[in-house]
Amino acid sequence: MKEFAVPPVVFPSGGNPAAGSGVQQRRIATAPFQPQRPSGSSIPFMSFDAGSATASTSSTSIYGGPIGGGGGAPGGAGFEDEEPLLDELGIHPDQIWKKTKAILNPFRVNPALHKDSDLSGPILLYMFLCLFQLLAGKIQFGVILGWIVVSSIFLYVVFNMLAGRNGNLDLHTCTGVVGYCMLPLVIFSAVSLFVPQVGAVRFVIAAVFVFWATRVCTGLMVALADGGDEHRGLIAYACLLIYTLFSLLVIF
Amino acid sequence: MYNNVGTQSGVPIPPTNSQPNPFGNAFYGASSGLIRGGLGAYGEKFLGSSSEYVQSNISRYFSDPQYYFQVNDQYVWNKLKVVLFPFLHRGHWTRITEPVGGRLSYKPPIYDINAPDLYIPFMAFGTYVVLAGFSLGLHGKFSPEALNWLFIKGLLGWFLQVALLKVTLLSLGSGEAPLLDIVAYAGYTFTGMCLAVLGKLVWGYSYYFLMPWTCLCMGIFLVKTMKRVLFAELRSYDSSKHHYLLLFIALAQLPLFIWLGNISVNWLL
Repeated sequence: MKEFAVPPVVFPSGGNPAAGSGVQQRRIATAPFQPQRPSGSSIPFMSFDAGSATASTSSTSIYGGPIGGGGGAPGGAGFEDEEPLLDELGIHPDQIWKKTKAILNPFRVNPALHKDSDLSGPILLYMFLCLFQLLAGKIQFGVILGWIVVSSIFLYVVFNMLAGRNGNLDLHTCTGVVGYCMLPLVIFSAVSLFVPQVGAVRFVIAAVFVFWATRVCTGLMVALADGGDEHRGLIAYACLLIYTLFSLLVIF
Repeated sequence: MYNNVGTQSGVPIPPTNSQPNPFGNAFYGASSGLIRGGLGAYGEKFLGSSSEYVQSNISRYFSDPQYYFQVNDQYVWNKLKVVLFPFLHRGHWTRITEPVGGRLSYKPPIYDINAPDLYIPFMAFGTYVVLAGFSLGLHGKFSPEALNWLFIKGLLGWFLQVALLKVTLLSLGSGEAPLLDIVAYAGYTFTGMCLAVLGKLVWGYSYYFLMPWTCLCMGIFLVKTMKRVLFAELRSYDSSKHHYLLLFIALAQLPLFIWLGNISVNWLL
């Protein structure tokens, strides 16, 4: 096997990579294999002049500079002390998954999971709804987002007014609950891609999903904020209106 | 909230009880405080006059909205019966007053079937928009923009009804009924409207029967209510002028209902 004289790669920022700085140093993918050239070559390619150590170190120094700069940029402590990106953004996929699964059961609400509201789950469900609508040929991204905002403000106002003195729902929780309870409608929009456009079947299926969404939403709202208990039916009607509105988008 | 704004502006405010406030001084809920504080602050910025003038005017026009949401299931059910079938209402139409803090104020809707509330109008308005969207969809003309225009049309209809009632009150010399009362009374038209649109969805020809029927019921309801309101608010009782205006209110319901009930893509018509 041929032996290639590969000069050692030296980084100006750290030490020898063999010394084990490990993750910090990024390996350069440029031409690790430098063929033997006659030293009298007339074409002085910088990176391919194997014989001259100066050329190779200068080539590595081109890359070493920005690497060292890039490696040194995130704080002095460096790359491995940063939080993972999702944690820093506040998105917890396993929590989103658990919350979404809890909505799947229409007969038992689990308010403990939804106590700390987040908006990333609703945004994910919103994207799925828009995706299924797109598959049905309707481009309604802005419409759905606008309607979610308006309807959550509407529900927030109605709930707090009904609950009176001790109503303590806040808009973030309200939007989170409305967003999560869109899950039945997301499933409905996926199902409606396969249901024939004419006929009463669509309306019956829509009614099932709308009632599911209403039931879960009312249960969560009453469980998460005070003062909603004696107005259950009134709040349920408001939720029914909201989800019927969205189901109109899916049906027609 | 009043006191906060007042001390910020450096003007000592005497208690703002000089205006007749038929709902007493109950400020409850975060909502009313927010509205008052917010409106008070903005009034300060824009009008620049003394805070007591601004705040007393605001309390005259926007009485405490929380009063109108003190409802329960039973009240809602009974009120719907009163609005949709007003001739079956056996009792009287006056609102019950109670002395609160030395001044007469009306009882909240839970205790008094004749008190106006804002829950039913809001829900009826929402139901009207949803049902109208449904009817558009069944004719194949649904689109989200059409639904938005329907929403605006409904709001315009509500506003027209409020204007009608307010002008009637003003033309008799006093417009001192609280604005939210008038808004609530005007919003009851949407309950009848919903019934008419529902009939249209179920069987097309039933609309031509249901619509005049609900129009008539709404007319009767408004006449009976406004008679009591006028009686309570005005000093003199000029019988013939009152009756003509009440008749005018009832007759003006018909074009309004025809316009609102005509659900098509061209929203203005």
